[in-house]
Amino acid sequence: MLAITLLTFKEVIRRRIILITLFLTLVFLVLFGTGVHYGYEEMAGQAGPLEMMLTQQFLALGLYFGSFIVAFLAIMAVVGAISGEIEGGTIYAIVPRPVKRSAIILGKLLGYGFMLCVFAVLFYIAILLIIRFNTGLNVPVKPAALGLFCLQPLILLAVSLFGTTFLSTLANGIAAFMLYAIGVIGGMMEQIGYLASSEVLIQIGIVSSLIMPADAIYRKIVYSLLATPEVSMASMLGPFGSMSEPSAWMLLYTGLYILCFLVLAVRIFSKRDL
Amino acid sequence: MIIETSDLTKMYGKKVGCSEICLSVGEGQIFGFLGPNGAGKSTLVKILVGLLFPTSGTAKILGRPLGDLEARRKTGFLPENFRYQDWLTGEELLSFHASLYGLSAQDKKRRIPAVLEQVGLSGKERQRVGTYSKGMQQRIGLACALLPDPELVFLDEPTSALDPLGRREVRQIILDLRRRGKTVFLNSHLLSEVEMICDQVAIIHKGRIISTGVLEEMLSGAVEVEVQVEAQTPQMLSEFSALSRKMTVDGSRIRLSLNDRKDVGSLAGIVVRNGGRLFSLKAVQGSLEDLFIDLIQEGGGNHHAGHNPTNL
Repeated sequence: MLAITLLTFKEVIRRRIILITLFLTLVFLVLFGTGVHYGYEEMAGQAGPLEMMLTQQFLALGLYFGSFIVAFLAIMAVVGAISGEIEGGTIYAIVPRPVKRSAIILGKLLGYGFMLCVFAVLFYIAILLIIRFNTGLNVPVKPAALGLFCLQPLILLAVSLFGTTFLSTLANGIAAFMLYAIGVIGGMMEQIGYLASSEVLIQIGIVSSLIMPADAIYRKIVYSLLATPEVSMASMLGPFGSMSEPSAWMLLYTGLYILCFLVLAVRIFSKRDL
Repeated sequence: MIIETSDLTKMYGKKVGCSEICLSVGEGQIFGFLGPNGAGKSTLVKILVGLLFPTSGTAKILGRPLGDLEARRKTGFLPENFRYQDWLTGEELLSFHASLYGLSAQDKKRRIPAVLEQVGLSGKERQRVGTYSKGMQQRIGLACALLPDPELVFLDEPTSALDPLGRREVRQIILDLRRRGKTVFLNSHLLSEVEMICDQVAIIHKGRIISTGVLEEMLSGAVEVEVQVEAQTPQMLSEFSALSRKMTVDGSRIRLSLNDRKDVGSLAGIVVRNGGRLFSLKAVQGSLEDLFIDLIQEGGGNHHAGHNPTNL
């Protein structure tokens, strides 16, 4: 299993997945930082009491699009983890070696999971630092929120790893993106539902977060960062905010969701013909 | 037995991959596995190395059931349509496969240079596999298969991308493995190659084994004779025909496939008795190619051996 994990690390480095991701992330962070700097400078002076809300809107935007980028990286990196090796023929020399098929899946999970977590941590800290230097808003790092930010790509990792054991790389990529989109759109609908007091929209949001819980995790991060005992600023951020905090049951559900997809990935790959 | 299969069957839906394969391969042999394209050669190899799961039947590799990790530790495999991580260097690739085999750091240090030397890639180990020629890639694949100093090696078309010199070197490696008591299961469509090095062969057609045995014995059964006779008579040809499985007449030249080597001597008597003039009589050892084509054309009707395990 360790050999597979180390190979996965080597692959993301040698195939320049890390390099391209870091470069494009840097581009995003520079753009985001510039936007926050000038946006805050020009709007905050006139915003008056809404200054704090504006600042937090920037933070939510950074985390929202950060979640997007980390999720995309998870899907793009993992989508062909097994199917790509079957299509390319490299798996035929690995499976006959004295290694269990489950170890191949778990080795890849560890390799990609570690890479995604490191990336998510760096991204999260970068967003917080950009907000702090440009607006002066001192958002504590909060390990729980950081952990949740890392949890988002792990959900996509589990789903993509499951799909790659029996779908083609292209089909798996489309399926994972669609699933992620369902979660994102459902989450937005839920927030609009709270604003418009529409029970139907709220229910759509809840069902979509059961289908793909990544967006619910984002809402929980925002809520935990911006809500205070007195007032929840998170509720004032519209589609990017969080009118109500997803419960601990949602976290438990997410954990089971990840576990379920991993168990299915192992079972399917262990029984399939190559 | 190093390999033992019993009624091993693989179905792809209603399509037969291989059917009721019964083989027994003893230690220290080079076993040639032949068959036309789509006959089921790769299906059987894939089942034996754990890439496919059989629909029914059983098999043992090195005395252990299919998929046993301890047996795999002593088994090397070079896949047919191999492709390795082209972003790794040759040395890194070998190190990765050595880790999969569970070799210790000390064993890695010893085995990696040894197999590189064995396949003629010493000095090329720091190049990326992606820059290797097809032949070099086949050699590095062979090196991966030989890493654990295996008791059993499955080679699926090991020389398909090699030039004649490379083929000879690989043949030498295979012969060297046999000399050291290793067993080689060679899946190849190059009949001349199989004929040169294999001790036993099995021929598969339409998913079934149609013939299996010691190569020398299989070839000695089929004797080709070429007779040059003038003043041929219908009676003479009729008597020739009675002794042979197949007869072709081309002017004064008659080519016969005799059922029994002992009948070679009778041919001269038939010519003389029927008043013919015998110019030459030449017995030719049947080639594996002749045997292979005969068996495939016959569809294996008289040579079916699939149900009876043959100890080789």
